[in-house]
Amino acid sequence: MNGQSCRSPLGWETLIAYWLGELDPAAEKRVEEHYFGCNPCSQRLEQLETLARGVRAVARRSGVDMVVNDQFVSRVREQGLRVREYRVPPDGAVNCTVAPEDDLVVGRLEAPLAGVKRLDMLTVDGNGNIRARQSDIPFVAENGAVVFAPGIARLRALPATVFRLRLLAVDGEGERVLGDYTFDHTPYSSQSPQ
Amino acid sequence: MIAPDPDIPPADAALAQRMTQAAPGTDTEAEAELCRRLAPRVRLYGLRHLGNEAAAADLMQQVMLTMIERLRAGALREPERLASFVFGICRMAVLDLRRGQARRHRLLEVYGEALAPPEAPPPPDLDHTRLAHCLERLPERERTVLLLTFYDDTCAETLARELGLSPVNVRVIRHRGLERLRACLTGEPR
Repeated sequence: MNGQSCRSPLGWETLIAYWLGELDPAAEKRVEEHYFGCNPCSQRLEQLETLARGVRAVARRSGVDMVVNDQFVSRVREQGLRVREYRVPPDGAVNCTVAPEDDLVVGRLEAPLAGVKRLDMLTVDGNGNIRARQSDIPFVAENGAVVFAPGIARLRALPATVFRLRLLAVDGEGERVLGDYTFDHTPYSSQSPQ
Repeated sequence: MIAPDPDIPPADAALAQRMTQAAPGTDTEAEAELCRRLAPRVRLYGLRHLGNEAAAADLMQQVMLTMIERLRAGALREPERLASFVFGICRMAVLDLRRGQARRHRLLEVYGEALAPPEAPPPPDLDHTRLAHCLERLPERERTVLLLTFYDDTCAETLARELGLSPVNVRVIRHRGLERLRACLTGEPR
């Protein structure tokens, strides 16, 4: 229908499943037949597409802090974007920077994740004060690492700074530090660490 | 279960009726309005099936051209069936586009500018600064799932494997994250 209401609107979950190709062919065809004749549902699908395009754009320009995974980093590289990667062992430190041509900077925080139920990540400043806590971050225990990509604009704006990330395993019995990861950041210069 | 909406599409059908009742090519206002209403739906179909904006724009142009050509020729007997009429054209056009550009070029040669549909409005856009702010306010798990989902339009099954979650869990997190994100963008309380 083309008025401002629809008697049997397509739900968001159906629209998302359609958009991501999760529906079987028959259900997909029903969705398409519906939105071709339905202004409100086609507008909702357009809202979803706009949102998806926006989220993709934010991710592509590394506009927010993100916990990602290896597959994401591979896709970024496959698309010809430049990734700067730092691998940090538990309680390790690394000299780091961001070059003008970098599209994404990732820190690979290695940690013993076997048996961990919930993982939190803390941001700790140079004085040991906790600045932020990200609770229940996604991880795959077998990978033995968390892949963290800080927002690149914020990173570029940083002066020479030392900051630390801390991974905590959390369960019913309390919290356990899995590792501290120190990033000694300097603004880019031609002598910056690679 | 998704059912076609039983209502007759009054605005689209009325426009189609106007076109079929007028002498071919004379009710350009109805043609333009019909294109304005239907082109975004064709674009979405094109994005979904062809995977990129340029191909979706090609599809949009071809479908609008074909629709106008057929409506002018009186090929639509029941205006209330306009949606399935256009959907049918669209499905065929995707096959055509996959085969090549031959028919589109022929139509453009025959009818040229006289049949060229009006420029479709540009797709809507979001304020990316605000969107980034709203993404940052999401719980980490929801943010990760949304970013990884839409970066490459990754389905729940694949993402579940990559994140060590179940597909159901991914869908729940995805749904919750999208609801929160939409509420933040529109300023609606959740």
